[in-house]
Amino acid sequence: MNVDAVQTALGTEHAALWTYGLVSAFLGNQAAAVAEGANAHRARRDTTERWLRDKGATPNPPAAAYLPPAPVSDGPSALTALAAVEQDTCAAWHGVLERTDDAALRASALEALTTAAVRATRWRKAAGTNPASITMPGVASG
Amino acid sequence: MISESVSRRRVLFAVAAAPLAVACTTEPPAPPPPDPLSALAAQARADAKLAQSLTSVPAAAEIAKARETHAGLLQAEVDRERPPLSSTAPPAPTSPPTPPDPLAALRTALDEAVRDASTLVASLPSYRAGLVGSVAAGCASLREVLA
Repeated sequence: MNVDAVQTALGTEHAALWTYGLVSAFLGNQAAAVAEGANAHRARRDTTERWLRDKGATPNPPAAAYLPPAPVSDGPSALTALAAVEQDTCAAWHGVLERTDDAALRASALEALTTAAVRATRWRKAAGTNPASITMPGVASG
Repeated sequence: MISESVSRRRVLFAVAAAPLAVACTTEPPAPPPPDPLSALAAQARADAKLAQSLTSVPAAAEIAKARETHAGLLQAEVDRERPPLSSTAPPAPTSPPTPPDPLAALRTALDEAVRDASTLVASLPSYRAGLVGSVAAGCASLREVLA
């Protein structure tokens, strides 16, 4: 069902926005890239909520807080949290891509998947993760 | 009265015979068009080969490996939908002449791979859109490594 997959994707957009807010204090030297990522997720959240309302669904609200896979206490852990949340976003939009024949939604899902993969790569590169690239973004084994 | 019934018979005959005539004259069905994923798989194999030649670029090995994975996944989907008649492996890509600036050529090739896969996603059934969309995003990720 499209709506369920899109609600899941909206959930990861909420989590991504929250995480960008959390890490900004630790990544002062990359403020521009952090702001760019936050803006991209805010815009995607808005279009996703609009799509859900257009389908007669009520967009799920954000949670009060999210749990990063590891505590964020410094620059390196902030980069890890950003890479993780971008990869979660990839997985959610890949899930939408696999489930929809709606052309506009598919285009939006592909763009969300691609831009999240590029940001994840950027953060992994900044963190010195090897390999920095993600071979199959959004796919569990990739 | 008679002429009317003859005419009806003629009409019925014509209607019944028409498909028969068509069936007798049509050529055997043309071979199905090539699977659009084959072109993406070939592109991925060629990119892997180009990346392998770039021994001086640290990220090239990572790119070669990723594009080989893409080629394998795409080819597996092509073969799943239309099993190959023989077990012959796809022809090895013929080595194109080494471009004057292989690193620039690899960047261009990855840009093209993102574009071609992204364009194809719109026309695919959803189960293939996920695979090809992930390949497109994977190529964008590789491009970012080279940025």
